[in-house]
Amino acid sequence: MKKLCFLLALALTAVQAIPALAGAPQQPKAPGIESKDYVWNETSGEKADILKLKGDSERGRNAYRVCQGCHKPNGAGLSDGTYPQLAGQHATVLIKQMADVRDGRRENPKMFPFAGKHIIDMQEIADVAIYLQNMKIPHDNGKGPGTSLARGNELYKSDCQVCHGENGGGNEKKFYPVLAGQHYKYMLRQIANIRDGKRRNANPKMVKVVQNYTDADMEAVVDYMSRLSMPERSAAKQ
Amino acid sequence: MKQWVILAALVGLSAPWGAVAAPPKGDPEKGKQIASQVCLACHGVDGNGTEPTNPEFPKLAGKQPEYLLKQLKDFKSGKRKNEIMAGTVANLTPDDMANLSLYYAGQKARPGMVRIPALVTMGKKIYMDGNPDAGVPACAGCHEADAFGYGFFPHLAGQHAEYTFLQLKRFNTGDRDNDKGLAMQSVTAKMTEQEMRAVAEYLAGVPLK
Repeated sequence: MKKLCFLLALALTAVQAIPALAGAPQQPKAPGIESKDYVWNETSGEKADILKLKGDSERGRNAYRVCQGCHKPNGAGLSDGTYPQLAGQHATVLIKQMADVRDGRRENPKMFPFAGKHIIDMQEIADVAIYLQNMKIPHDNGKGPGTSLARGNELYKSDCQVCHGENGGGNEKKFYPVLAGQHYKYMLRQIANIRDGKRRNANPKMVKVVQNYTDADMEAVVDYMSRLSMPERSAAKQ
Repeated sequence: MKQWVILAALVGLSAPWGAVAAPPKGDPEKGKQIASQVCLACHGVDGNGTEPTNPEFPKLAGKQPEYLLKQLKDFKSGKRKNEIMAGTVANLTPDDMANLSLYYAGQKARPGMVRIPALVTMGKKIYMDGNPDAGVPACAGCHEADAFGYGFFPHLAGQHAEYTFLQLKRFNTGDRDNDKGLAMQSVTAKMTEQEMRAVAEYLAGVPLK
């Protein structure tokens, strides 16, 4: 026993003695949609462990500090879509996405340095997730040009509503995100990445739904989505 | 049991962001005695730095005591590499360091001096909004909009621009790597030299309330 402890300590010292490399930590790569055995909503490993933790909104407020430099103190991100809106998002969805970024199933070199295991632990992720879920969705998200909303409405009703809900409320148990209040340009980028196989943690069912969408179809449906509202999680209208 | 304590120390268990850092306990008056004998030449007894243009003489006045204590400990352990500071803190006990941190944290910071006013607008933009195209987060996210910091995220308002710039550069090159989770190395990895200079100039002029 004593010997084991000593060896462990020695090994850990050796690991710590390796000098840190300058610059941002690099994201690893985990198998995603391109691989044969991929199950998009599989909860195993760290993801399963985080989902079992009870998040604390008050602690989350502090842990969120490293996030708010980009996602802003109110969770709203940027209306030009560079950074997504996170307020009112399901905690389960936030945990899944964070875990996928950590594992390298969702590629995001900008986010990884601030979401990896070196900077935020499992409990903090659970805390941040519930803190964000409890925040009110702002109304001033980035919206589309409003030129083909009828077509967007038609596509949303036939293809999207069954999972994402009439008001864009998603489904927390199934990891379907809240769309209400999300920025137009952010959703446009994601739907294109999902269609084109670049978002490697996507739901294959959704890839099928959008694979024949033209760019105009995507713009129409996303414009419609950017105007959805989820009253139970939205900020009071002024 | 003893082995497990050592093991825990080796793994480097650190307080998570979510935990609110408890300020150190100690006697600032005892800290003042050390400041008057050991620190005064560079940092001044009042903690405002004796030479604003010397990048190695930062202001300490008004910074969070938990931040100051962490830096002293890191100088001593070598986690923050600085030969002069390592030599200076070598003989300080943990109590000395806590007392000193509390003393300097309680001193009044004097306003800083902007030397390149043309950079202040750019610096403020990066401080408040970051650079979304390059993936630089806003400094205000952790250090607060007023640059007064929080817990282990240091107070930056009014700091000498030369010191702030040198630290950003050292994070950028990896020479300074005692930042938790490599957060500052990640932030500065995407910054240009001019952006770092601009943020430093902006911070020197941030009012102290």
